[in-house]
Amino acid sequence: MSDAQAKVKVHVEKVNKSYGDNHVLRDISLDIAENEVVVMIGPSGSGKSTFLRMLNQLEMPDDGTIVVDGFNISDKSTDINKVRENIGMVFQSFNLFNNYSVLENIMLAPIETGKMDKAAAETKARQLLDTVGLSEKADVSVNSLSGGQKQRIAIARALAMEPDIMLFDEPTSALDPEMVGDVLEVMKNLAESGMTMIIVTHEMGFAKQVADRVVFFESGKIQESGAPKQVFDAPKNERLQEFLSKVMHA
Amino acid sequence: MKKILIFCIAFFAVLVTLVNIPNVSAAKPHYVITTDATYPPFDFQDKNNQYTGIDQEILKTIAKRQGFTYTLKPMSFNSATQSVSSGQADGVIAGMSITDERKEVFDFGTPYYRSGIGWAVKKGSDVKSLKDLKGKTVALKTGTSGADYALSVQKKYGFKVTYFNDSDTLYNDVINGNTQATFGDLPVIQYAVKNGTQLKVMNAKSPIEAGWYGFGVKKGDNAKLLTAFNKGFADIKADGTYDKIVAKYLGSSAATFTGNKKDNSSVLGILKSNDQAFLKGLWQTVLLTVLAIVLASIWGVFLGIMGISQVAGIRALSTTIIYIFRGLPLMVLAFFIYIGLPSVIGMKIPAFIAGLVTLILNEGAYTGAFVRGGFEAVEHGQMEAARSLGLPYGKSMRKVIMPQGLKIMIPSFVNQFIITLKDTSILSAIGILELTQTGTLIVSRNSQGFRVWAIVAAIYLIVITLLTWLSNWVEKRTRA
Ligand SMILES: Nc1ncnc2c1ncn2[C@@H]1O[C@H](COP(=O)(O)OP(=O)(O)OP(=O)(O)O)[C@@H](O)[C@H]1O
Ligand SMILES: [Mg+2]
Repeated sequence: MSDAQAKVKVHVEKVNKSYGDNHVLRDISLDIAENEVVVMIGPSGSGKSTFLRMLNQLEMPDDGTIVVDGFNISDKSTDINKVRENIGMVFQSFNLFNNYSVLENIMLAPIETGKMDKAAAETKARQLLDTVGLSEKADVSVNSLSGGQKQRIAIARALAMEPDIMLFDEPTSALDPEMVGDVLEVMKNLAESGMTMIIVTHEMGFAKQVADRVVFFESGKIQESGAPKQVFDAPKNERLQEFLSKVMHA
Repeated sequence: MKKILIFCIAFFAVLVTLVNIPNVSAAKPHYVITTDATYPPFDFQDKNNQYTGIDQEILKTIAKRQGFTYTLKPMSFNSATQSVSSGQADGVIAGMSITDERKEVFDFGTPYYRSGIGWAVKKGSDVKSLKDLKGKTVALKTGTSGADYALSVQKKYGFKVTYFNDSDTLYNDVINGNTQATFGDLPVIQYAVKNGTQLKVMNAKSPIEAGWYGFGVKKGDNAKLLTAFNKGFADIKADGTYDKIVAKYLGSSAATFTGNKKDNSSVLGILKSNDQAFLKGLWQTVLLTVLAIVLASIWGVFLGIMGISQVAGIRALSTTIIYIFRGLPLMVLAFFIYIGLPSVIGMKIPAFIAGLVTLILNEGAYTGAFVRGGFEAVEHGQMEAARSLGLPYGKSMRKVIMPQGLKIMIPSFVNQFIITLKDTSILSAIGILELTQTGTLIVSRNSQGFRVWAIVAAIYLIVITLLTWLSNWVEKRTRA
């Protein structure tokens, strides 16, 4: 995807963010193209989640510019709800709505934002349940699902809004190892379908397989970025080398 | 604070228009008169639960002859006088002694009854004068002027004293010979004697520390009402009606007013002879509870939503309102609204409305606190997930946070409903004739404290049980 013609979906320029004295993001700049799959890696506390959450304004940057889908979301006057409809987000802790059934979880946003009527939303929801392999769970309560099932429902819920960007914040970190495969499978299919994806993960094998580009965060900075082969097999940055030797031998 | 005040005033205005205020006929002047709900033989309820007594008959007769009408508001003696001094009511007749202190606040009509302290002994006793009390024991009721007087002459006559809280027990003690005499308000003792108590009043004609009772209006206000009262009083004094009224209460037997012994000596009898009173009291309690529960819940949820607002100023406002109204004792708030506010806003507030607003503000503050807590207890990620899907804040609240939060709060709501029901009893202090006040009135008439309060307690428990069942039923349905 180094094609210079590719349309820029996410443009981040010189973004800073601090929590009190803690300077979490330092002058970050990054462009992500349409259909690109970017995987972000880095040690705990390096600012990966903070960066990801800024892309749909769950956090506001202190300064700098963030343009998503042509909307400047670092500007407070932008109607963020409209922009968010086009950005799906998947959380480490699933965050399924406890007060609704599986099907209702998926149907809620399309109906409430006026994107679809009830019938269309239900058709869409059932089709997505099929895609993530959980058709038989349509009417159960979300609390009866396993972690892996919950995360696949969460992905379906985000996809119901037909977004053109998907954000994943450590989607498999809270899962038992035997559940991880099912979720990664769903994500791999999604990547193959051409979705623009930004994924924070510690699954290095998965990153190698699906990433167009791997970005290494450390101390609130992008220390190195490039194709998976380059980043994993010939890391230049010393801290990246250190990080990789730790995670690979873990 | 200003916002709260404006809100309160607007709230009263709405409620006042919603509630019937007695129609004032254009032809006759109409007044609101307060009285002490329990001061026999001057003011008390008869066996039909009508207010009667020397004061009430005088007032009724004068009103008829002078051509004015009035709404009677029975309450505690202190509330009755304060209502008039604060302009809530036009006049007070409540066996109120005319004192220099009260003359600062009230204009009094012609003194209508000469009262003072009396003393009494067992019928057939050897004690003929105060001197004979040397070495004997005198029974006194705590906190009465009779007790004060007895203490002041105790050394002089050389008697011992013993105290009682309840008049019936005290009289029986004298009759049984454990004690030899008692001091008290002369007309009150006389009334007891006429009601069959086997005592002899020793100074019926010459009350000690005598003083006069007077009809009072707010100083400088209502000269018209005072003139009418005085004219009417001169009239009934001249034609003997006054003497007849006094004789009627101090010269006839108890059963005439309070019902016969049989009615009062069993729980069933008391229930039967007071069924209308209990029903009315229960209805007021239920009405007050239901309205307060509904309105306080709405107000409380509103406060709770304000409490988790994204705007710091709104959060602070919610915290402040909750802090103030949770901090104020319910009775202080009731007095403030009923007696304090009217003089500031220049508008009378009916007791029921004042009581209801008191409950809404107080219970609403508690509700607001646990509603805010309930919303905060919903996982933070729920809101983030809803927002990240493009739902606006309000919709995320309504569709995701509130349903989960309210579910957490259901036990707190049920608890608050029960507290609200119990708190209505405190409003008897501003004269709302609810269940507790009804009990007070009946006891003051028949002295059957144990039986009446047992009945009242049972009624409360029944209502609380029904309320709990209803809440549980609703809870089950909302969960389905
Ligand atoms: N809301 C917040 N308030 C204060 N500090 C925060 C907040 N969110 C994050 N931080 C701090 O910002 C820094 C970066 O946090 P972030 O969650 O972005 O790291 P991360 O790279 O996602 O780490 P991990 O791999 O552990 O998820 C950390 O030091 C964290 O403590
Ligand atoms: Mg993180």
